[in-house]
Amino acid sequence: MKKVIVEVKHMDKTFGSTVALNDVSIEVRRGEIQGLIGENGSGKSTVTSIISGMQKADRGEMFFRGEKWEPSSMLFALEKGIGMIVQENGTVPGITVAENIFLGETDQFKTFGIVNRKEMILKGQQALDAIGASHIDAAQMTGSLDMQDRKLIEIAKTMVKKPEVLVVDETTTALSQIGRDIIYKIMNQMKEENKAVIFISHDLDEIMQVCDSLTVLRDGKIIVTFDKEEFDEDRIKTSMIGREMQGDYYRSDYDGSYGSEVVMEMQDVNLADQLKNFNLQIHKGEILGIGGLSHCGMHTLGKVLFGACRPSSGKVSIRGRELKDEADAMREQVGYAAKDRDIESLCLNASIRDNIAIGGFNRFAIHNFLVLPGREKKYVQKQIDELSVKCAEMNQDVSALSGGNKQKVVFGKWIGRGSEILILDCPTRGVDIGVKQAMYQLMYQMKKEGKSIVIISEEMAELIGMADRLIVMKDGEIKKEFQRSESLSESDIIQYMI
Amino acid sequence: MKKFLALFLAAAMTVCMLGGCGGSQETKETGEETGAQTNATEADAKEGARNEQAAADLDMSKTVKIGILVSDATTAEALAFRNYYTEYIQKQYNVELIYSDELTDAAGETSAIDTFITNNCKAIISFSSFDRAAQIEQCEGASVYYAVATGTLTEEEYETYKGYEYYVGAIGPSLDVEYETGYQMAKHYLDQGMTNFAIYGGAIPYYTEMHIYRAAGMLTAMVEAGGEGANYKGAADRDAIIQQIFTDGEIVPGAIGTINVLGYVGGYDMDDAWFGKCTQMAQTPDLQAILAVGNGSDFFGTAIEGTDVKIASVDAYASSYGEAMTGGMLDYLAGKFSASIGPIFIATYRAVLGSPVRTEDGSALALSQGYWIAESADDFNTYYAVDSSVETPAYTKEMLDTLLTADYGAFKEFVEAYSFEEIQGMK
Amino acid sequence: MKKNQLKKYIMNLTPLFGLVVLFAAFLILGKIQDINISYGLKSIINQSVVVAVVATGAIFIYTLGSFDISLGASVAVSALIGGMVYNKTENILIMTAVCIGVAVLIGLFNSVLASVFNLPVFVTTIAMLSVLNALILVLIKVNGTGSEIAVPAAAVKGLNNTPFKVVVLLLFFLVSMFIFSFTKIGRMQKFQGGNPVCAKLSGIKEKKMAIIAFAMSGIGVGIGAFLSIIYAPTLTKNTASSVGMDVIIAIVFGGMPVSGGARSKIYAAVIGAFSMTLLSQIMVMFNLNSGIGQMVKAAIFILVVYLATSDQRGKMLPR
Repeated sequence: MKKVIVEVKHMDKTFGSTVALNDVSIEVRRGEIQGLIGENGSGKSTVTSIISGMQKADRGEMFFRGEKWEPSSMLFALEKGIGMIVQENGTVPGITVAENIFLGETDQFKTFGIVNRKEMILKGQQALDAIGASHIDAAQMTGSLDMQDRKLIEIAKTMVKKPEVLVVDETTTALSQIGRDIIYKIMNQMKEENKAVIFISHDLDEIMQVCDSLTVLRDGKIIVTFDKEEFDEDRIKTSMIGREMQGDYYRSDYDGSYGSEVVMEMQDVNLADQLKNFNLQIHKGEILGIGGLSHCGMHTLGKVLFGACRPSSGKVSIRGRELKDEADAMREQVGYAAKDRDIESLCLNASIRDNIAIGGFNRFAIHNFLVLPGREKKYVQKQIDELSVKCAEMNQDVSALSGGNKQKVVFGKWIGRGSEILILDCPTRGVDIGVKQAMYQLMYQMKKEGKSIVIISEEMAELIGMADRLIVMKDGEIKKEFQRSESLSESDIIQYMI
Repeated sequence: MKKFLALFLAAAMTVCMLGGCGGSQETKETGEETGAQTNATEADAKEGARNEQAAADLDMSKTVKIGILVSDATTAEALAFRNYYTEYIQKQYNVELIYSDELTDAAGETSAIDTFITNNCKAIISFSSFDRAAQIEQCEGASVYYAVATGTLTEEEYETYKGYEYYVGAIGPSLDVEYETGYQMAKHYLDQGMTNFAIYGGAIPYYTEMHIYRAAGMLTAMVEAGGEGANYKGAADRDAIIQQIFTDGEIVPGAIGTINVLGYVGGYDMDDAWFGKCTQMAQTPDLQAILAVGNGSDFFGTAIEGTDVKIASVDAYASSYGEAMTGGMLDYLAGKFSASIGPIFIATYRAVLGSPVRTEDGSALALSQGYWIAESADDFNTYYAVDSSVETPAYTKEMLDTLLTADYGAFKEFVEAYSFEEIQGMK
Repeated sequence: MKKNQLKKYIMNLTPLFGLVVLFAAFLILGKIQDINISYGLKSIINQSVVVAVVATGAIFIYTLGSFDISLGASVAVSALIGGMVYNKTENILIMTAVCIGVAVLIGLFNSVLASVFNLPVFVTTIAMLSVLNALILVLIKVNGTGSEIAVPAAAVKGLNNTPFKVVVLLLFFLVSMFIFSFTKIGRMQKFQGGNPVCAKLSGIKEKKMAIIAFAMSGIGVGIGAFLSIIYAPTLTKNTASSVGMDVIIAIVFGGMPVSGGARSKIYAAVIGAFSMTLLSQIMVMFNLNSGIGQMVKAAIFILVVYLATSDQRGKMLPR
């Protein structure tokens, strides 16, 4: 049994009326990559944020290297040897990479109050090289780098301190394969050096692959810890949602057939470097999957299909009619759920009712103009009931909902008005497993009803599991088209993406 | 936390309420009752012995609230007037004078009067004249006395309103006095042999009569001094000149016989372009004097520094003008003395107390009162010393008290003896 | 969750609560200070009605997250042109129609100009402010006596009474409320103000929303101009000069979020306008109508805004 380096005993934490942690006890061992998994609100981020000094617990004790551990701040914790990398952006855009790496610690380079920039840049570059991110120049402006590189800078910043315990909190979801590889390499390195890693992710496959042990949390309580030998996808899922998952996760059939009628068509569409001579047809009763790396142009494709982006050349048409703008698309019963849910698909400080009703005036408003509260409520309630949106009441602000429920509201907005064609961009991002399943079933149901669904996703498993036809994009072009098949695997697809 | 603050807000309101109980020197009578009493007493007075009313009959024991409308709170004149009212009158008589905020238009006047009426003011003395007719009508309708603090009504206005019960009247320079002021001002310099003038027209572009009449006086003096056939755009007498100015809305520079009007600026734009015009006019070559229908030293004083150009203004007795005179930026001042608003106050106060002073046929007052003329810094200082005193101003309480019981004739005589010497003689 | 909803409910009601308190304070204090209460109430209505009407129309603009800095000048220009037309035609109905027509034209000009040049609308309103101010001076100089344009008082005397003004305000308020709360236009405008990005992706056309909002606001401005003429038929270059600022203060005082969005309230303008006037009148009762009075007013203003927006601060907004 490896030695315990961090121990948490009987920890409680409450936010207002919400219990985040309920008598949680964890042991983290040296030389191990321990996974933490759970749905949103399970407490996994809370407990690690307390360990790394971001906030304090209400009750309970922590021990680090056998001694009482009460970090006053994240900086303090990092100094002492526990570092954390988070999902959100942690760099300042207006300064150089080296300055970000040594943010708040420039004193070490000061002589008589003047910072020795050359030395800072040198040391910064060394930190980047150490983690395998040499392609980043320590002297350049952070703002000019993309999200992934900025995340790598944060990693370099943490690793410079040579922590003994590293917490990786949902970081990998934002990264491409290159970024993920860098993190895995660091994690394995730490394992070899007899240090410890706590790895939090939503991605069950990734966790099972990377971790030595896996602790499942649900509703602020520790449910069970699995060792690597015991890893079993279904068992883990069951412990996460607390009940047996009924039925299939994705579709059970491998029948990738769809109607012959072409409902939407793109002809020779060009848009900057995002889409090049793009041709696409969407059929009635089809689930079309679109996959690729983050910058392949597929997210722009979604917007073009909805009329939100106008191509510089080429034609987008719905049932033969050329598409002009979003209102036009909506008139043709097209719906669009954007990747950036909080900003593009929802008005956060409006109510659930507002967000669903805004799409359905043609349904419940008299002469598409007069809004009677009674009819509006009936319309909204139907969606809330059918999609099982978990909320106190429909006038509640949408910002108070969990990720999954927010997405349900987005669905309600488009389904309620009778959309025939749905364009979904990363529809299950940040959504709990239970809700994910429900969404997949819904999509399949809609296909059976003859509606068309376009799923744009960075999750290959999802595409393989749901699509009738899977298109792989790279650099604005279609590289390969796959038909639905039992034998289709991720490796088949990846080679066309990169 | 926020609920607590909401309660705190309510509590603050309650405290204000309770605090309000203690704060003021109030009468317990309702406005309507006093008003009714005043009307009844007034009717008696009109019928019977109109002229004689023993001082003992005037009940000055209850504080009388009077609203003051101001359209301009920052000029030297406005400040001097306010000083006289608050530092002297309010301390000598049992009145509470409430000032309005600075008013900028007729709507503001109406609101302010409404507010005064709501707060049980028995009378309103007005320094603001955006819509004189509306003010008088409003006060008459609410049975509140109304007086014009400085200035006069036009002839038509007077004809319309002189019979109004609640219109007390106006005491100020009549248009004749204004004309004469301009005339004397110009003559002062013409007699010195000067021939090159510039004129500042003040509110002439807005067709303000008092300024037009002052300018007409200046031009008439010039016509008289200009020699054979001299005229201003064809007009050679007072009425024709007045008519011409009304038609033009401005003074047109040019020759009036041997006299020259080298430049003219009007209005109160007070933006950079306008100040530029003022400076340019002040620096016209060969200019000898700038005759201003209103304030002159403020707008032209700096520009004439170092030259021999003289500036003449019609304004008030404020210390800044004394400094201007000593510094050579002002040479001649026809000024209102701040106590000039004493008599109209007395007339208003008397009306509230039930003993109004009206003309023989029961009309409102329209008395003429003019300016003190200072032709040197010494003159100014002498006049200013008296005018700015809060112990013994030009019109002291003793003098004003005589007005409380004076009949119309005596009142008129008092007011019309307005020159500095005459007033000093009265003391 | 229920507790939060209740708290939100109370926060929303704070301005109304404030109005009630101020009204009660006015009545009680007035009784104590022995003022002419009925006259005072009439006076308050007179002083509040123009701002209440213009501000109610302006709510449509503020809901979008935009603002219009030229409202006061618009009222002045509409009133001046209305007055001029009256003096030529001696017909009150035509004068009213002209007031509203001119105001709506100004509003449309603002929004259409912005739409054509792809500018945020408030930018054009800033430019319009200068243009309108110059227009005011030109109109007075050319058509008035040089300092004013006057409609004969006798002509409007019949309408210058409280019941008429209250009825006008009520009618406009009801129409505005109908459009704001019972038609899809109001809903779309709130959504646009709440999240313009999402609004575009929900088929809402920003320019169309702006044009409608400015048209509604124009009607409010026109009615306000009409009421201004009735109240003080002598119009000068300072007529309605404080309306622009008063509108903003009124709607904020009444609980309207300045950035618009879902929490916009159509009744905020009326509540705010009357609250402001009541507060001023209360200050006057204690002879505090300048200096200290202004400071007290400002302090209460800040307190009211703090309470009304307490649930919005600290939250991340998607703008």
